[in-house]
Amino acid sequence: MPEVLDLEESVSTITVSAEQEAVPAASNASSGTTRRTFIASATGGFMLQFCLPGLSRVALAVGAPAPTQVNSYIQIGADNSITVLFGGCELGQGSMSGLAQLVAEELIVDWAAVKSVSAPPSAISYITGGSSAIRTNYLPLRQAGAAVRTMLIQAAANTWKVPVSECVASKGIVTHTPTKRTLGYGALAPAAAKLTPPANPTLIADANLKLIGKPMRRLDIPDKVNGRAIYGIDVRIPNMVFAAVKHCPSLGGTVAKLPANGNGITYVNLGNAVAAVANNTYSALAAVGAGGDNGGGGGANFQWNIPASAAQINSALYATQATSLMATGKAVNAELIGNPATSIKTATTTLTSTYTFPYLAHACMEVLNCTVNLTATTCEIWAPTQASGWVQATAAAITGLPLAAITVHTTLLGGGLGRKIEQDYIAQAVTIAKAIKKPVKLTWPREEDFGRDQYRPMVVSKVQGGLDAKHNIVAWENRIVTPSILAQRGWIAAGAEDGQATEAATGLPYAMLSRSVDFVVHPATVPIGFWRSVGCSFNSYVSESFIDELAHAAGIDPYTYRRTLLANNPRFLAVLDAAAQLGGWTTALPAGHARGIAISEAFGTVVAEVVEISGATATGLKVVKVSCAVDCGRVINPDSVTAQMQGGIVHGLSSVLWGHITFTNGAASVRNFNNYRLVRMADMPQINVKILSNTNAPTGAGEPGVPPLGPALANAYFRATGIRVRNLPFFPAASKMSDG
Amino acid sequence: MTTLNINGVNHTVNVPDPNMPLLWVIRDIVGLTGTKYGCGIEICGACTVLIDGSAERSCNIGVSEAVGRKITTIEGLSADGVSHPLQKAWIQLQVPQCGYCQSGMIMAAMENFPGGDGSGISNVCVCGTYQRIKAAIVLANTL
Repeated sequence: MPEVLDLEESVSTITVSAEQEAVPAASNASSGTTRRTFIASATGGFMLQFCLPGLSRVALAVGAPAPTQVNSYIQIGADNSITVLFGGCELGQGSMSGLAQLVAEELIVDWAAVKSVSAPPSAISYITGGSSAIRTNYLPLRQAGAAVRTMLIQAAANTWKVPVSECVASKGIVTHTPTKRTLGYGALAPAAAKLTPPANPTLIADANLKLIGKPMRRLDIPDKVNGRAIYGIDVRIPNMVFAAVKHCPSLGGTVAKLPANGNGITYVNLGNAVAAVANNTYSALAAVGAGGDNGGGGGANFQWNIPASAAQINSALYATQATSLMATGKAVNAELIGNPATSIKTATTTLTSTYTFPYLAHACMEVLNCTVNLTATTCEIWAPTQASGWVQATAAAITGLPLAAITVHTTLLGGGLGRKIEQDYIAQAVTIAKAIKKPVKLTWPREEDFGRDQYRPMVVSKVQGGLDAKHNIVAWENRIVTPSILAQRGWIAAGAEDGQATEAATGLPYAMLSRSVDFVVHPATVPIGFWRSVGCSFNSYVSESFIDELAHAAGIDPYTYRRTLLANNPRFLAVLDAAAQLGGWTTALPAGHARGIAISEAFGTVVAEVVEISGATATGLKVVKVSCAVDCGRVINPDSVTAQMQGGIVHGLSSVLWGHITFTNGAASVRNFNNYRLVRMADMPQINVKILSNTNAPTGAGEPGVPPLGPALANAYFRATGIRVRNLPFFPAASKMSDG
Repeated sequence: MTTLNINGVNHTVNVPDPNMPLLWVIRDIVGLTGTKYGCGIEICGACTVLIDGSAERSCNIGVSEAVGRKITTIEGLSADGVSHPLQKAWIQLQVPQCGYCQSGMIMAAMENFPGGDGSGISNVCVCGTYQRIKAAIVLANTL
């Protein structure tokens, strides 16, 4: 029998409070005691099983309880191997390595001795999202690693019948100091497995940390330079057939008639889509018409029922609706400080600006895919997924099998960006497997990946600001009209506040006498989802552009103006100053260059960016340099944080320069990269990142680099041209991408 | 049957459809999955391979065009997978994030290797690793 010990006091307050901050409405789901249990067993030598609280705010938003079941493991093999298995996934953010680094630190082993893999899901499982991997798991993982070390040392002391105090662990070996006897972790594993996990293992003191805070090489990278890394799309299982999918050209439409089977192709009706099943990927893709520059077709063989309501899925109509909702729509107040309606009357200067944002695609490099082997009693799934527990539930619902009969293998993800939380592609693959009764891999053509994304929502946001004669902000009134991701899914009541639609619009760091933030839900039916940095991706653009507009109205340098408004906010001030210094804010610029600055907080992390541009015209610009300063609390791997800032900046840049998707008759305007331009080598600025390291609790890294880029660029562009970009993207006419 | 020379090895394979692009022959028929599908319309470059030393996007190249020529994929760079100078530099500078586009990036860099700084590469990396790719190519030239 495994020894079980409840660690009721094992604090997950860091986790819970961070999540509560992110999703106030859903915090009750997790606000009680989070039980953390360590279970020791002799599985494969010695295995410590435990539950990590990696429950993203997406799950909290659904009201899912915090995970209580085992979802993560540390295993010490008889061969001295050390494997950590996490409930999460590696989608490029490096957290599988960062998490392993925490365990290696507490085990006092060489970094090279550790392997990190995705664990099988538990019923209510870990969801990778919300820049949460490190910030929610930092303390629990260190505790787990420390528990294992403590048990290994205890096992050695018991073997030698000596006091624990005479034994030390280092590099995978326990030494009895007085006699110099040694035992390796592998040899100690069976004895350690019989011990009770300690309630309060002692963590390594800060002064003795050897791995945390060091740029350790990521464990996943070697296989990513030689083709050995296996993504979902690379999975092959015996006797597998290959499927591709084609959705109805209009959202809301359904299959009217399947094409006739033939030429080695079997068609499966998926309701709103047709799957073509073949004996290789190409034949399946060809059968659904993938690969044409205009995104498929597949000919008249596909017949669809397109409802009259599809005509209502139209971007011009949406723009009209949003304008009307901005004027008269029923609002929910998300934040109220003071009395802005009264205070605005005391202003000597008032400004009003309206900003609009388009739908955006995730455009992960690896298209959606899923491999399924379904038998009468079992279902095995291989998928690039951010939510393996949900995959299990999805398959259970379709197959009628119990959760225990469903095995999910989380592969590497060729990008996730929030899209691979969704279950649509999983459900399709399971449905196809059920229909054709063969193991199958479903691969979405790129055209379907763009055409049936769950898009970053469109937004219209209006701000009115008032300054007094001393340029203090006496009133700030922000009204946001946008579809609600949570309401569209029925996770909150229609018309309720969606905290993810107003995040980073509320809680602004600047001194303001009064402020209101109102949210009006736009009931557009285009499917929307979680896009890197979610609401911060547009709200920070608004607030940081508008602060710049106020600075300009006040005739004050925008960096200086921000400093004044942040006088009582040392954390923001330090980050702002660091970015300004890195970007040479006060230094002379070459002719034709201009700089802009912006700062924002996302997922607990504060990031400021200074963007330097050149050659700005009405139709284009060149980004020369981006200087980024970040405070994400304690840093586990500074090189990974730097990489996430670099990546977030590039992501933000593509989206604001060119990113936009419109809808006509329920069909997306973009079907492939030829119409969805992304930053490439020739567009790249020099990016410099400065991390403000400290010992505060770790905060997010994957997303916070995105939000400041857009407004910093807009502010630079205004400085260069006098043009204030309030309707995104900057250059829609330049959004085509060729092969050169 | 079709014979393709990939990474110095002749593969004689049954290509079920004469229109099947080289990408899918490499992935599905030969079974080398390091070369990736990204867009299918020769834009993103995830499918880049070398054909007689020239970087080509394999998603729209008919397999017949590749017969009798030397094809190199990411799997062919080194036997141990980590010792080619580009691989060493990629690891040293921790270039990949999700890694999905990196096979294509490295094969695009191979075209001019040793030499160049990658500024002519037009492949897409959604993670935004371009700055490190350039630095790694420059470093690899010295290794």
